[in-house]
Amino acid sequence: MSRREFTVADEYNYDRRSPARWIASHVLRYPILPVIFLITVLAMAGTQSLAAVLVGRGFDTAVSGAGPGDLAIAALLVAGAYLVYSASDIANTISSRVLAQRVERDARDEVYLSLLGKSQTFHGRQRVGDLMARVTNDVQQTGQMVSPATGYIIESVVSLIVPLIAISTLSFDLLLVPTIFLVCVAFALRKYNRELRPVAGALRRRFGIMNTSLAEAVSGIEVVKGFAQEKAEEGRFSRDAGAYRDAFVREGEVEARSFPLLVYGIAVGLALGHALFLYLDNRLSVGQVITFMALMGNLRFPTMFSLQMFSIAQQSIASARRILALITAETELDENAGGVSQAIEGDIIFNNVSFGYDAISSEPDHDSMGAALAATSMVVKNISFHARPGETVAIVGQTGAGKTTLTRLVNRTFDAAEGEVLIDGVDVRDWSLDSLRSQIATIEQDIVLFSRTIAENIAFGAQGEVTQEQIEEAARLAKAHDFILAFPDGYDTVVGERGVTLSGGQRQRIAIARAFLSNPRILILDDSTSAIDSNTEDQIQRAMRRILKGRTTLLITHRLVQISRADRILVLKNGELIAQGTHDELMATSALYRRIFVPDTEIHGVRPVHEALPQAGQ
Amino acid sequence: MSSIFGGLDAEAYDRSYSDTQLIRRSAAYFRPHARTVAIVALAVALTSLGATAIPIIISRGIDMLTGNTGLQILLALAGLVTVLGAVGWTFNFVRLRLSARAVGDVVLKLREDAFRATMRHDLSFYDQYASGRIVSRVTSDTQDFATVITLTIDLLSQLVLIGVISVVMLTTNWRLALITLAVGPVVVLVAMIFRGLARRAMQRAQRAQAMLNAIIHETISGIAVAKNFRQEASVYADFRETNHLAYKVQVKRANVFGTIHPVMHAVSGIASGVVIYSGGLLVLDHTVSVGDWYLFVQSLAIFLQPVVLVASFWGQFQQGLAASERVFALIDAEPAVAQIANEQVGPLRGRITFDHVMFRYGRLDDEQPTASGAQAEEVLIADAISNSGLDALPTTPTPIEGGLPRPTGLANGVSDTISATTGVQLNEASALATREQEAGWVLADFSLDIRAGETVAIVGHTGAGKSSLIKLIMRFYEFQGGRLLIDDQDIRRLNLEQYRRQLGLVPQAPFLFSGTVADNIRYGRAEANDFEVEAAARQLGDGSWIEALPAGLQTDVGERGSRLSFGQRQLVALARVLLQDPAILLLDEATASIDPFTEAQVQAGLAAVMRGRTSVVVAHRLSTVRTADRIIVLRNGKIIEEGNHEGLLEQGGHYAELYTTYFRHQTLTYRPWEDADEAGEPIQVSGLATPA
Repeated sequence: MSRREFTVADEYNYDRRSPARWIASHVLRYPILPVIFLITVLAMAGTQSLAAVLVGRGFDTAVSGAGPGDLAIAALLVAGAYLVYSASDIANTISSRVLAQRVERDARDEVYLSLLGKSQTFHGRQRVGDLMARVTNDVQQTGQMVSPATGYIIESVVSLIVPLIAISTLSFDLLLVPTIFLVCVAFALRKYNRELRPVAGALRRRFGIMNTSLAEAVSGIEVVKGFAQEKAEEGRFSRDAGAYRDAFVREGEVEARSFPLLVYGIAVGLALGHALFLYLDNRLSVGQVITFMALMGNLRFPTMFSLQMFSIAQQSIASARRILALITAETELDENAGGVSQAIEGDIIFNNVSFGYDAISSEPDHDSMGAALAATSMVVKNISFHARPGETVAIVGQTGAGKTTLTRLVNRTFDAAEGEVLIDGVDVRDWSLDSLRSQIATIEQDIVLFSRTIAENIAFGAQGEVTQEQIEEAARLAKAHDFILAFPDGYDTVVGERGVTLSGGQRQRIAIARAFLSNPRILILDDSTSAIDSNTEDQIQRAMRRILKGRTTLLITHRLVQISRADRILVLKNGELIAQGTHDELMATSALYRRIFVPDTEIHGVRPVHEALPQAGQ
Repeated sequence: MSSIFGGLDAEAYDRSYSDTQLIRRSAAYFRPHARTVAIVALAVALTSLGATAIPIIISRGIDMLTGNTGLQILLALAGLVTVLGAVGWTFNFVRLRLSARAVGDVVLKLREDAFRATMRHDLSFYDQYASGRIVSRVTSDTQDFATVITLTIDLLSQLVLIGVISVVMLTTNWRLALITLAVGPVVVLVAMIFRGLARRAMQRAQRAQAMLNAIIHETISGIAVAKNFRQEASVYADFRETNHLAYKVQVKRANVFGTIHPVMHAVSGIASGVVIYSGGLLVLDHTVSVGDWYLFVQSLAIFLQPVVLVASFWGQFQQGLAASERVFALIDAEPAVAQIANEQVGPLRGRITFDHVMFRYGRLDDEQPTASGAQAEEVLIADAISNSGLDALPTTPTPIEGGLPRPTGLANGVSDTISATTGVQLNEASALATREQEAGWVLADFSLDIRAGETVAIVGHTGAGKSSLIKLIMRFYEFQGGRLLIDDQDIRRLNLEQYRRQLGLVPQAPFLFSGTVADNIRYGRAEANDFEVEAAARQLGDGSWIEALPAGLQTDVGERGSRLSFGQRQLVALARVLLQDPAILLLDEATASIDPFTEAQVQAGLAAVMRGRTSVVVAHRLSTVRTADRIIVLRNGKIIEEGNHEGLLEQGGHYAELYTTYFRHQTLTYRPWEDADEAGEPIQVSGLATPA
């Protein structure tokens, strides 16, 4: 079992040693359904062969010149056999389909749960399109492994064997042709299977690639249109879709070349010859010849079906392999459920901390589970600082200096490669992840809202149940209450992909309200937007000030006021901490820091801020 | 969870096609492959004939048994059956091989058409429809269509078989033939009953699946937030509920489809009994030979084959039909932005004229067009007529039904909201403006003339319509009245591709494609060499931002640029435009996320680029606006002030006020919060437990 960040109590344990075992363990979770399936399959094959025998008897009855009464009995027997067959068929189909749906549902649940358990390092490396393809298409394909694929394959095998038994009751000699036929078909199927495997895998891969590139073009439509690149995108899509088409055609060719049907065609001729020969030898009646030929006819369906189903089964195994690769991909962090779990005071110490994205261990294996990172160097190098409980530490530096990465080492989005991060004197790796993260709130630069109501989005921050009053209080503190009430549905307004779109300032305040409800001791405020407009700005800054008050805060912002008022400011350059101190200290000692506050007039001919202010002020 | 059930509904642009329409439409895709299709059809017919011949030969053989025939003839018969089997396989091989090609090509074409249709849509379409669902129409639905085609070919081959057998039976003994053939209508009747049930079950199942995919997509995208707040459990609960709903719908579907096949079998079983009985009576009368009787009994199984096929794959068949319907609906959906001509666009000088423009987002059907809107329609109609119908373009924008007005693209984090909500925030909105906002107008009777080469800065509060101006110039949305002229030409008459290639847009939320930084900079000009790419990147600041990237310009940006910071993404977006060298530059808060270190240097670089070309700049940082030739102050879609920086400041009006408040943010004395918020114990929501 790989390490995970999230687990649920009632989780079912599946066998993940191989794709086939995995699917089997899913099926065996509901043992009654496969049992029903097997019994009914036997019943179906049995009644089908019985019908053939009964038809032959009917013929013999007629040829021997019996009365209409005997004929009616024979006819009723045939119809009766078919009705039993149909009843078994209903039970059979429903049991296999329900089983397939359950497998699909459970597999989706399992892979989804495992995704929640993966670290963010892992997710950062994945393409959403690829994950989507695995959770949706591959899971569906896995369900098809059960029904129709395996169901039909079992049905085919049973319907190959049962007619043989029926044939043996006619005459042992008659088994000659069908037996040779079976051996040849077995070889033909094996060969076919081998050819199909790589082709089926390629088909799935091509589909994933096509899906990913399409999703990207659709998400980036504004840029595509802005640069009039529709034609280029069409070309790119055509290329991906064309590669899929080629794989599809290759699969079609392998399917066309399948020999089992050829073997069958020849076998029918030989069987007929054999039966006629035995008849002339007076060892068979007319009815028995007919029964034999009908039983030979029953052998055709299994041969034909298993071919199609093998192709589905191949794809399903390929899909299951892709899903398993995702589920079993190692994640770097684990829940550490037995770790330190206590109230955080808010003391943060960084001791010679370094981190680089290439430092992440154990690249997950095969099936394109994440491309290797291009990063080659440490993003954060040898950083040491100390934030006391309640202090605000502002982190400044150029884009790409490592500010965001630094903050992510605190809540263990990433783990430091070298050095240690201590919270209240305890290494973060020794904390229970649950306890740690529930006391640290992050307000990201890219604020994600879910397609739920505003109230639910705010309550998202809370541990456990919260009342509507508490949600509203949080919104008021975050200066979000007024604009929320202005929506027609107020707190029940649905936002996100299926609802209203909020502006950046509004999202930010929702995120702050969320943080109020999570009531953290440590706050990471990564705010890369700049002033929006004065009305909104007053409210945002006030909300920010309120949320960080009394909480240890790591602050990344372009808002100069907030930086200057921080208890301590870290100046980063290319991942290194080149200066730290208070605003006044840094203004005196750090040229780089001064650059933010005193723009160089000679470069762009604009008056410095503090000169322009007085004349416009009143 | 009502939204999830709501999601079971189709998209607003869906339409239903009759079966004939669907078939005709699908057939059109096969027309280019007519030769292949003909060969496949021939192969199908020959395979079927071979397959039919076998039971007939056997039935003759049985007849010979009752007579007195020599061994040689019987063995010859058996040999004939063997040869027919082999020949049949060969035809089948040809059929499978060629049909895979034809189907592969047709699906490719269908996907390309669907993709082209999505690319043709303007941004209002993307505001309204979830991207995941658009994607599934282009990939999964076309896939299902392919399945239908393959099944149809199988089905056809078996129908040929039925035809041939029916003829043989009718010539043998028409009475017994009619009794046997009577099973046909019964089977068709049963199939019809199931058809309605199946279709409904299918549609529900598919929509449940689409909903499930949407929720998975959303939570995978939002996984970081879920993790930060340790809300995996709540996200999981949401997922689980939808997953279970989808399961229940799918099982219902399975139950419907699972019973079709057995019921058909029962029908055929009863029919077998009837044929055995009535045929047997005829054999006793010596009106029918034993071989013919055998053929009749066998033919029932042959009749059943296509029915079994259809019944087994009915689900996929229905799914494919519904899927093709959805794909065609996507292809047929009319974009709201419709050009009325396709005039070549030479090098632009860059004059932009808004002439009494009326504009709002989304819905149009529930309100009467205003006078100017109606006028615009007339103009459009006149234009369409004068263009002698080169293309049959619609004269009115397609009404979009239902749904809330969605002002911005999904990718836009910071947006100009047009909802009445924002109007409430703007405390001083005039009564007129409020009324216009209630009518939903973002821009009402808006006129503005931007000279070639001019740098115009647009300022104003959120919701004033600043970004909308840029989106209209980009022709991302259709406007409802007035005219928009580019170099004195109606924007609706331009070849959009040639036009947009000369526009340089840096949107609020920069979107990057997976690939390297260099790939992204090259996005607008694929032919640019590495040197040009680097030069464009170095134009921004002193280029030190490139050194901060782990692998310089070759850094992989990750999906949607996720491995770069917001500021870095914005720098890449700027470099992309610089390389493109556009005639008109449109910056929508292009530097909002760039850190203060880089900002000053970027400004210097941009100032050089803007010199000599028309630039429209939306900025919340007034420091970036001061160097503009002209500043336009917008409020509620109206120009309330315009002039240069010094002039407007002297007026002491709205701009001066904005200027002051903005600078207040950037001074160290700015302090919008109260003393109570300054320091001390954390502010907490009452009654919350402290986490442990």
